[in-house]
Amino acid sequence: MQAEKLKGHLDLLLLSVLSRGPGHGYEVITRLNAHSDGAFDLPEGTVYPALHRLEGAGLLASTWDVVAGRRRRIYRLTLAGEAALADQAAQWRAFSGSMSRVLGASAFRVLRFPAFRANGTGLAAGTQLAGGAA
Amino acid sequence: MNSGTADPPGDLIEDYLDRLLVSLSGSPRQVRHTLAEVEAHLRDAVAEGMAAGLPEETAQAQALERIGPVHAVTGRPAVLTSPSRALLRRITLTCALVGGAGLVAIGGAGLMGRLLQALKGNLFMTTPFPPGTYTRADCARWLAGDPGSRSCVTAMLADHAFDYLLQATACGLLGLLVLAAYLILRRRWSDRATTTALPVGTAELLGAALAGVAAVFFLAQVADLETVQHGVGVGQPLSLGIAAAVAAMAFALGFRRCLRAARLRAA
Repeated sequence: MQAEKLKGHLDLLLLSVLSRGPGHGYEVITRLNAHSDGAFDLPEGTVYPALHRLEGAGLLASTWDVVAGRRRRIYRLTLAGEAALADQAAQWRAFSGSMSRVLGASAFRVLRFPAFRANGTGLAAGTQLAGGAA
Repeated sequence: MNSGTADPPGDLIEDYLDRLLVSLSGSPRQVRHTLAEVEAHLRDAVAEGMAAGLPEETAQAQALERIGPVHAVTGRPAVLTSPSRALLRRITLTCALVGGAGLVAIGGAGLMGRLLQALKGNLFMTTPFPPGTYTRADCARWLAGDPGSRSCVTAMLADHAFDYLLQATACGLLGLLVLAAYLILRRRWSDRATTTALPVGTAELLGAALAGVAAVFFLAQVADLETVQHGVGVGQPLSLGIAAAVAAMAFALGFRRCLRAARLRAA
């Protein structure tokens, strides 16, 4: 997926990943890639300003810990973050459902009536409207 | 970052972290934390690459490609993390320090002028206008301002000396405000990009040079007035010259301190 498209949804994705358990930056990116089967490919550095912004907004909290011999900042979801995740996820599902219904209907027409594909009008060349003048 | 030993040459991760350090803004703590996070991230990515069989240099290059350019981490457009913005901030700070200190020096000259006025009188502080260059109305105004004066010339001298002291005091107060603004901005713009945008001690060297030139100019005027007018009106350039010389010395000492601190850091 294009990085620019993904950026608009990065907050929701990060909140979602962290809802499955606390993690440091690299871990968050690894989980994001794993859950999306590698589809969400954006410069990894972009998650840090997003994580800091979410922490500033009170949706995440962080603590420092030593993991595998390295000092790391571990992020976890706050209660406000959980509420924001629920809200944003509901909005996304509603939007996604509407998109799917529209796209699903178009796809059905294209498959059922190949003429839609021919000239984009829904009418194949030479086809007349049903009931139209001969 | 600084382990006290020389960095290995050609370490891509260290180079990236150096560039990140000078581009990050925020408090020193925020900068340290972001740097630590990103370093841990990069070391993890390199370790992962090497575990997958990549040579270290390739693993480093791959880790850097994945994390993206420095401005991806800073979260600001590249143009905002460019040295030009830091340079602009540094120039503003330099102008505020030099300008503020210069104005305070003029205020100091005013205080010195008040002392000289008390010791030597108004004729020492200011030169009277030549006869015929002022009107009766001017005289009336000066005498109204200084009712105790017995002549127009005496009242004129008192008026001119008062103006000089008032303006110098106003400059001093304005200078204090500028220096206060400088301190606030210096704290706000404490990121490394701004502090290193100009060579160490630039403001101090510039201040010493400007104040030194001003001191020479005013003290030359003192010499000229002593010779030509036998000390009449010497007070103003004398007080300004001494204040400028003191400012030049203070800036010069500041410059030396900056150089010494830089040498200690380098060692």
